[in-house]
Amino acid sequence: MATSDEQAHEDRQDIKDEQLAHKDDEQAEKEYADFEARVRRTIYIDHLSPLVTAQVIKASLAQCANVVSTEFIQNYTIQYEIPAAALVEVDNVSQAQAAVDLMNNFPFMLGGMPRPVRAVFAKPDMFPDRPRKPGLKVEFSWVKQGDPGYDGMNKLKGLARRQEAENMALIKNQLEEEKELAAQQQETLEASNSKYDMLEKLITDGDITKLAQHYKVKLGDD
Amino acid sequence: MGESNENIQFSWGKKRAKGGAKMDTQFYGSFTFDNVKYSLYDCVYLFKNGESEPYIGKIVKIWQQNEAKKVKILWFFTPDEIRNFLRGPVAENEIFLASGDGTGLADINPLESIAGKCTVVCISKDERNRQPTPKEQTVADYIFYRFFDVGNCTLSEQVPEKIAGLEVNVLLNPKDEQVICYPDQDVQGMDQKVGAGLVAPLPQSAVKMDEIPVAPLPQSAAKMEDEIPVAAVPLSQSVAISLPPSVKEVDKAQVAAVPLPLAVEEDVPKPTQKVFKRTESTQKVLSDKMPSKKLKLSQDLTTKNMPSKKLKLSQDLTTQSMAPVPDVKVRSVPSAQQTTRQADRSKWFKPQPWHGKLAQADKEGRLVYIQNLDIRFGASEIVELIREALQLSCTAKPINHPTYDDPNNGKAYVVFNSRNIADEAVMKINSGLVVGGRPLYCSKGLLKVPKPASGALVGHLTISNQKMNPRQREEQKKAVSTSHCSQPNTIEYDLALDWMLVREKQAMKFSILHKRHAGERKSFAAKMEK
Repeated sequence: MATSDEQAHEDRQDIKDEQLAHKDDEQAEKEYADFEARVRRTIYIDHLSPLVTAQVIKASLAQCANVVSTEFIQNYTIQYEIPAAALVEVDNVSQAQAAVDLMNNFPFMLGGMPRPVRAVFAKPDMFPDRPRKPGLKVEFSWVKQGDPGYDGMNKLKGLARRQEAENMALIKNQLEEEKELAAQQQETLEASNSKYDMLEKLITDGDITKLAQHYKVKLGDD
Repeated sequence: MGESNENIQFSWGKKRAKGGAKMDTQFYGSFTFDNVKYSLYDCVYLFKNGESEPYIGKIVKIWQQNEAKKVKILWFFTPDEIRNFLRGPVAENEIFLASGDGTGLADINPLESIAGKCTVVCISKDERNRQPTPKEQTVADYIFYRFFDVGNCTLSEQVPEKIAGLEVNVLLNPKDEQVICYPDQDVQGMDQKVGAGLVAPLPQSAVKMDEIPVAPLPQSAAKMEDEIPVAAVPLSQSVAISLPPSVKEVDKAQVAAVPLPLAVEEDVPKPTQKVFKRTESTQKVLSDKMPSKKLKLSQDLTTKNMPSKKLKLSQDLTTQSMAPVPDVKVRSVPSAQQTTRQADRSKWFKPQPWHGKLAQADKEGRLVYIQNLDIRFGASEIVELIREALQLSCTAKPINHPTYDDPNNGKAYVVFNSRNIADEAVMKINSGLVVGGRPLYCSKGLLKVPKPASGALVGHLTISNQKMNPRQREEQKKAVSTSHCSQPNTIEYDLALDWMLVREKQAMKFSILHKRHAGERKSFAAKMEK
């Protein structure tokens, strides 16, 4: 049906089409490369207060990094109350490094005291909307009842479940530890505070001089 | 939801040249897929997962290379998609053929992503275009006479010489009038299972509507156009109209249900259907005397006052073309294949926030929670996996929490198109789907997580009964939005150090546990090998 001219033209078109299909692959690679670059300049901040907003984060990091975007991590899997966490993208890798160093060397407090936040470099699997990783094979097979290895697979499933339970138990344990520490610190803080308050009151009321006389102690500033 | 299994009918039609860079490609002029014949330059529907509207395109090339069957699709744009560039009046069923060069002109898709045929008639007055007969025009699903240049983003009535390397002649109306079979055909067995069961079955016998002059109705085309009514139409009002085989079937999850009265010439089991209307399309009611407020039919009378109709399609729609196939069968969306289209529709649609989507899906029973995935799998890998292993389409989201979840066990939420499909998927996956040596397991429903905390963080201490004047109180309120690096000469520094210590210990414990888990899995796998 096609004349030789048409045929040649069609061939060129076909080659172009093949290239179009390859372009998709190329595009996927490029997309992933861009993604990886983004990952490198993103930091993961956790032990974050739920009250902290993206604005706050931006302002707080302004001293060492310019924040491009903030994405808060949604908790879908942990059935306990956990601190917030966020993926914070900054301008470049060195800024990211600076931020991480800052928060490692000093207790960095965001939105409350004294619990500091923690920052680490982000990893690709932290991003819920990561693009397709070219080269990662999605291979699957069916091992159904009656197939050899079915028992083994079931045992593996059981193992996975057990590990999950262990993990959850550890998480629960950690969270309780944290609560305890917080309660303990709160107590100490309040005790110290009331001590200082009392002292202040004594001084302002002048009772301290009376006490000094009573105990025959010389007050320093007399 | 109908067929989500592997074996959909397929056979090649006319062979054309062989070609390709390595001469391993065979081009064809036609093929039959799911018992519908498609030829070059036919207009087809393609569904993209997650979208409720199908894409309309023209097949401009068909080939097979190695095992893959591909088609090159030249796209049509709907008025919605080029809203910003539209000028002048737009007919209800008007679409625009892509022209020019650039992204969005045409794409290569797997053949299996084709969802059905449709009729598109060109009404351009250009001399190269065979003028359509009035009949053709009124029965057509869509008409076009304008072209949208994807390179300049301009709309034009001028017919370009070539599009996508093809002479424009072949893209306009075919030389022979399309054989359009009318009403003696019937709309066929919708093979669907209407899960929600909203609509009552239609009566077998047609009931004549007195108000509508049936006489001048040429046994031809009538199209359905409906609003989004909530209740089903009282059946006594159904009209006996011979309908063309184009019937649309809609996603069960949608609300409206309108029974489609069908012609009676054949004893066809009446399917229940729900039809949706595009929100902007205006409706023209055929006759005001139609008792049913909910069902509006537009009929095609040969008289001019026939409004054009548009049917709204939804996710699980398939259509039948007007063309010859007497044994019309409707196929549910090919769950096996995904359509790719590079046109940037993101400008027009706002993506529904995931959270809302999840809650909605869970309510409808379409949400599945899969565990034991490879942590490296992202959304697209999971979607691909489900597509290849189960031949189902879905949307997915990996949900591991980076701080706490075990990286040995990847978790994800997957949303399917219907409750039944979701149930089916759960059963299949649990029966023994193994991915890269990892047996997956899954269940339905959202995990119970506490509502996101709105209070202060555990560990953020407050000093109570502090005497402060109002100004100080204001400042303290603002203090939530500040941050600082603590210096060693403060109380908080010591407290902070306590926290850092706890945190480090935590991190260590998690790392040890997760490593141990990884080790356990490895040794188990090794043991199993033996």
